[in-house]
Amino acid sequence: METNIKSKAFEELAGAAAGLMNPAIEAWKAAGRKVVGYFCSHVPVEVMTAAGVLPFRMRGTGSTGTELADASFSSINCSFPKHTFNQALRGEFDFLDGLICISSCDHVRRIYDNWKQQLSTPYLTVMSLPKKNGQAQVDWYYEEINILRAGLGEFLGVEITDDRLRDAIQQVNETRRLQRQMYELRKRDRPPISGAEALAVMVAGNSLPRERYNDLLRTLLADLENTPGRSGYRARLMIVGSELDDPEYLQVIEDQGGLVVTDSICFGTRTMWVDCSETEPDPVRALARYYIQERPACPRMNGAQPARAKFVQDMVKEFAVDGVVGERMLFCDFWCAEHYMNKADLKEAGIPFIQIDREYILSGKGQLQTRIQAFLETMGR
Amino acid sequence: MEAIDYNMGTAAHDLTTLERKDKALARYKKERDWFAFLLEAAEMMDTPEGKLQVKLLNILLDSKEKVISSVMNDTPFVAAYFCTAPEILNAMNLPWFMIMETPFLAASAPYLLDDLRGAEEMGLGTDLCSAIRLPMYYIESGLMPVPSAVVGLLSPCDGTTMLQQVLQHNPAWKNVPLFAPDPPYTSDERAIRYFANELRTMVSFLEEKTGRKMDMHRLREVCEESNRTYKLWQEYNELRRAVPCPHGWEIGGAQAFAVSQCFVAGDPRCTDWFEQLLECGEIKVKEGRGANEYCPEKIRILWFDIMPYGWVFEFMPWLEQEWGAILVMDMFSNFPYTLIDTSSEETMFHDLAKRNLMDVPMIRQARGTAENFSSDIARMVKDYKIDCVIWPGHMGHKDGAATAGIMRETCRGLGVPFLHIGLDLFDKRYTSVDEVKDKVSEFFRGMGLG
Repeated sequence: METNIKSKAFEELAGAAAGLMNPAIEAWKAAGRKVVGYFCSHVPVEVMTAAGVLPFRMRGTGSTGTELADASFSSINCSFPKHTFNQALRGEFDFLDGLICISSCDHVRRIYDNWKQQLSTPYLTVMSLPKKNGQAQVDWYYEEINILRAGLGEFLGVEITDDRLRDAIQQVNETRRLQRQMYELRKRDRPPISGAEALAVMVAGNSLPRERYNDLLRTLLADLENTPGRSGYRARLMIVGSELDDPEYLQVIEDQGGLVVTDSICFGTRTMWVDCSETEPDPVRALARYYIQERPACPRMNGAQPARAKFVQDMVKEFAVDGVVGERMLFCDFWCAEHYMNKADLKEAGIPFIQIDREYILSGKGQLQTRIQAFLETMGR
Repeated sequence: MEAIDYNMGTAAHDLTTLERKDKALARYKKERDWFAFLLEAAEMMDTPEGKLQVKLLNILLDSKEKVISSVMNDTPFVAAYFCTAPEILNAMNLPWFMIMETPFLAASAPYLLDDLRGAEEMGLGTDLCSAIRLPMYYIESGLMPVPSAVVGLLSPCDGTTMLQQVLQHNPAWKNVPLFAPDPPYTSDERAIRYFANELRTMVSFLEEKTGRKMDMHRLREVCEESNRTYKLWQEYNELRRAVPCPHGWEIGGAQAFAVSQCFVAGDPRCTDWFEQLLECGEIKVKEGRGANEYCPEKIRILWFDIMPYGWVFEFMPWLEQEWGAILVMDMFSNFPYTLIDTSSEETMFHDLAKRNLMDVPMIRQARGTAENFSSDIARMVKDYKIDCVIWPGHMGHKDGAATAGIMRETCRGLGVPFLHIGLDLFDKRYTSVDEVKDKVSEFFRGMGLG
């Protein structure tokens, strides 16, 4: 990735985002510590952090094909689980000691079933995530988190106490606060960090030990104060969509002159715009409420569409966004219908919007360039 | 004022409430007329199977008339689904229609392809399940009656969750009260209790929003009647183990689902229909007669999904005539037949939850982890002496698509050939009927079947 940021911290963060394994994970494993993978940002990382393991958010970075996974999935499945599962079958995730799946979407939830049948990761579980956000659902997820807590604790031989959970909530909140500080810089007329660079920083946060990541973020924030701001862009853009972990995708958009200044994606603001309560006496209750009711919702949560639409429009105002790019991986029903509604809502609000379907890996670069250029032109930029 | 086009869906946002009501009612009546036409055709069949079709269509027409009457008289009616405990709606004497009614029950109607094109023109993504896209289109274009309340569906797939949200986003529907019971992903006792609680909340919601009260004695009656139906259904499906199988795709499969789990769940007419079905099957088994008297049974098929409702008449008869391939069992017809324990209110809700999570077709297989895909295939292959399993690979069944490898391995373990086609059950433009026939023929030939 081309960058103007002169920062050792950024180099390490970008390096962690660019691959699956990184030196910090190697050192962690060498010290005899465990790494547990997880799918979807609704899995409470705080429980893993409290258990003393390194949570690794699953992604298929570096994948070039799905030749092994194709026997398990089919042509109408999203390419994200196919690439990720392919990486798993190739042994790229052999460093994992465990995997936590969740009933997030029709494609990703089947990774659990296929993984169970074909791989032998020592710890494997699946969480039942509600599809709406009432009190009964908070209560259900409270029990789910406690089941995870007990199962993971038993696997590791660790008691995940309330105190450990409270510490973990504070640590993860610290990450969120630092990430939000980075986003604050993106509100500037001349932001010192691009969308692609910011995404790399966000992705890295899901594959580095928490303390190391927080230290790197602090250093980066200091370095960014001395980084010249970006100017000369044609428009300020917001990206809205699902699983996007490839900074190169945003780089292509930004190379056309559209500076991505904020997002609503699940490697972005949806994971950190709100903190989990540190004052709630029962930390599991705090986590259940956070993941079901408090954090920005994704389309799988029925009844939350007005809140999601408001979140996007609030971000547009806050970050002085000129236009919204709705990205969606092919065959994703959630984002297909969500963008259908986004298009109508944003049209009503007078905010330019474009929907771009994509594969998980960056395969249609030329098409993306053309569509972004056309979008900027229609915006008169 | 310009005339409203009642046939084609155009953006309905500019219509007045009254115009919209008229437009939706006209379409609903048009669908009723389609069923009336089918009834006329069935009445000409002087066979026991024909009489069953007549009875079924009369039941369907009756439920349609009740909805039409409710729309016209502004009395409460509900939009819901077959898997959201219709026993409750019937116990509360609430007329209701299925939001996915057209693709599920009226997909043979001549306007279906026009509707699919309309959905495309509206900008609804073409990789979204056509059975979801159609009702979205009907809602957005004012072709579906706006009900007094909605019982939403959040399983088995992502598409259904989004259908509820598009519905709530629509200006004419956004103020219609909606309750969607939340389906847990697990299937243990905790999951059943959770869903039972959701159903109780649903009853409170319906009472508040429609003014109708739940009478637990009436619910008990409905559940007991429904139990009688389920016992008969189970008994009937035992008959289908016979070689040759007494019925194929035409009777006893999708119809049994429609009768038992849709509008008249727990209605004596439903029980009566099953008694007649059973009697009809028993006679054929005793006489050793197969499903199609002109096409001897050569291949016993497990069709592991919904039937291709959009082009069923172009394909299923061909299977029998060309290959002697009889659809002995399908995903919609075989499950544990959970009976409701009616001894208390608590047991009724518990078992209704269990039934609607773990028995109802598609929900049973696709709501949770993939175990039921493989265990159901294994059970049915053994029980019904199945020669081959066909997973149609409907373009909307994405969790199933991600289970294709598991199903294939299950069949390999059982030593039974498995075919994954890749098609759209409602839209024959996706994979043409001829192409499907070619694939099936190639498969039969390759496997030495027929």
